[in-house]
Amino acid sequence: MAGWRCFQNSAKPFIRLRRPITDRREEEPDAPMTDATGRHPFLLTTAAPNRRQRRLAWGILAALACALLVAAPFARLILPGTEIVIPAYAAAAFLVEILTSALLFALFSVDRSRSVLLLATGYLLSGLLVLPWALTFPGVFTPLGLDPDIQVTPLIAAVRRLGFAGIILAYALAKKGRPGDRIRGPVGRVIAGRVALVLAGAAGIVLLAVLGAGRLPAFMQDARNVTPLWSVVPAASVALYSAGLAALWTRSRSTLDLWLMVVLGTLLIEILLISYLGGATRLSVGWWAGRFFGLASASVVLLVLLSETTTLLARLARSVRSERLARESRLTAMEALSASIAHEINQPLASMVTSASAGLRWLDKDVPRVGEARSALERVVRDGHRARDTVDGIRNLFRTDTRERVPVDLNRLIEGIVRRSEEETRLGQVSIETRLQQSPLPVTANPLQMEQVVSNLVANAVDALSTVTDRPRIVRVTTRSQGGSALVTVEDTGPGIAADIRDRIFDPFFSTKPEGMGMGLMFSRSIVEDHGGRLWASDNRPSGAVFHFTLPSGPASGAEAGR
Amino acid sequence: MSREGAVVFVVDDDFSVRESIEDLLRSVGHDVRSYDSVAAFLEDRRVDHPACLVLDVRLPDTSGLEFQQLLLTQGMNLPIVFITGHGDIPMSVAAMKAGAIEFLTKPFRDQDLLDAVHAGIALDRRRRADEETLASLKERHASLTPREQETMALVVNGLMNKQIAAALGLSEMTVKVHRAHVMRKMNAASLPELVRIADSLAGMTTRA
Repeated sequence: MAGWRCFQNSAKPFIRLRRPITDRREEEPDAPMTDATGRHPFLLTTAAPNRRQRRLAWGILAALACALLVAAPFARLILPGTEIVIPAYAAAAFLVEILTSALLFALFSVDRSRSVLLLATGYLLSGLLVLPWALTFPGVFTPLGLDPDIQVTPLIAAVRRLGFAGIILAYALAKKGRPGDRIRGPVGRVIAGRVALVLAGAAGIVLLAVLGAGRLPAFMQDARNVTPLWSVVPAASVALYSAGLAALWTRSRSTLDLWLMVVLGTLLIEILLISYLGGATRLSVGWWAGRFFGLASASVVLLVLLSETTTLLARLARSVRSERLARESRLTAMEALSASIAHEINQPLASMVTSASAGLRWLDKDVPRVGEARSALERVVRDGHRARDTVDGIRNLFRTDTRERVPVDLNRLIEGIVRRSEEETRLGQVSIETRLQQSPLPVTANPLQMEQVVSNLVANAVDALSTVTDRPRIVRVTTRSQGGSALVTVEDTGPGIAADIRDRIFDPFFSTKPEGMGMGLMFSRSIVEDHGGRLWASDNRPSGAVFHFTLPSGPASGAEAGR
Repeated sequence: MSREGAVVFVVDDDFSVRESIEDLLRSVGHDVRSYDSVAAFLEDRRVDHPACLVLDVRLPDTSGLEFQQLLLTQGMNLPIVFITGHGDIPMSVAAMKAGAIEFLTKPFRDQDLLDAVHAGIALDRRRRADEETLASLKERHASLTPREQETMALVVNGLMNKQIAAALGLSEMTVKVHRAHVMRKMNAASLPELVRIADSLAGMTTRA
């Protein structure tokens, strides 16, 4: 054990060092840091749009406004016989909206926010309702024997339009950024449940409309022209779209919000063309123009969302790769370092052992050779001193800065580490929560060493969750003042610590991970104890492990600490 | 204990280690010469005695493993006992595959080192004896006339006198005379012994 004592105050090179996050930040100056609720900085829902994206969005809206002006004079011209284009239009609209919905569900699986789930649901409902709308459109599928009541189509159209507008408005209003706005539980089940719900809802609406033929509100006079009652629908749509636009404009400015504003603007133009300029007459130039402009802009939005997602994924993959490389090179450096330390220590040990053996052999001779034995013993003494010098040298090598103690706010330090662990936790589909004491938690400590302790505990917790599939993967970091100490706990919902290894987890070279060095916990404990605190482990309920450590509370003026 | 004529070379850059190993080997009666680098070892005068080399893996100029390879490519059959401060498994496997006697990690047991050195010296002594025997056989073979050498080659291939006579265009009587000369000059008491001698010579020439 003598070889290990020398590292007790000097853990720096052996523990996970700070993540090389800075490179990535420099690469994307527009990317914000995570917000107060600790959300991922690179998702569509959280990344702020850059200037290029804003310009593209305004360009699309301007192009649509121009198209509106061009189409306006001919809006009321009827194009008879164009019913045959309706299936093609419906297929395109269906695909665009279903794909957008799939993209949003994927976004939800990472982001887990309720508002994104709502939006995905809205797109799915809207996409699904396109099919019955086209199938019941008078004169389109008549050869197939489909000839329902002429009031079914407008009813579906009204539900689809108002439902979608309502959902976007609800999304904008729900998107207040409350920390609790996350859905827990298995993502797959949540999404499957939502899809089933929407399918059932859409089928129910269609069934009701078809069965209730004759009792439906009279929106149509005939196959082409609407009744005055219909005017309620576009008016309500315009109101909902405007409200949604206003809510998005004032509340949030993420990339996704920007494109949703484009979508709402497009829908507004579409409804203006269809219902007001086109006189709500089916198959008129205005009616068609509205639909095709709407479809074109929805496709552009879908493509933009796709390309944004791909870019974000590529950036994520890059940063993960650089992180892995950095970790590998750290491991190699550690191996080289430990080999060279072993060599330095073993060298004098070897000569001491060999000299002592030689001395014994000189004494064991028939005529003991005392002079030879004596010089062998003198070499043992000399090499013993030399070994001590080697050990001192190594201690001094690592001692640099570790004695330097400054006021540190543990809360701030932990926030920084949690932020930097985002990449890793997201890849492991782990949610990391913090329950930090409201007021600052001042201690006097070496900030680098404290960061190593906390990030080591967090990394261990994240690693422990890798095998968990049947329950949420959660890491929770809690801080509070307790008596004269600051208490920090790191809990996970992993498999916990088996009873038979509980006594060994703080031993050097003990690790349950195949690539583990088995040093992290040992160094963490020695750092904490060196600071006058304690580090221990216990069980989490119903499963998992909790690591606790205490540090003596520091100066009252800890507010400006952590800089 | 007889250490007659054997020499142990120690190459280690650490003065203390070198000194202690040298003392240990001397305490059991070995003749020891130690060097702080491969270059110093190579510069020293060569001795014509059975020998063994105790070699540190980590050396300043040429590493012990590199030196082992160098000796192999030059056909120098010096038995090597490796010692190292930080041995890993791949390293020891490489050393043993290349013919090392032993791979010891510092600090090692004195008896392990002594056993390895004894084994190395015994191996070298055997090799030297084999080489001496071969040299004398070669000398004797060279003393045969060309006709006798031809006859010997055919005899050890199992041909009968009559066949040899036909092959060489000689009378059977002449072949008998050549054959008797071969047996006498090569110091072979029987045909099987002659065959064994021929095999040794063939083995030596193919190795060279």
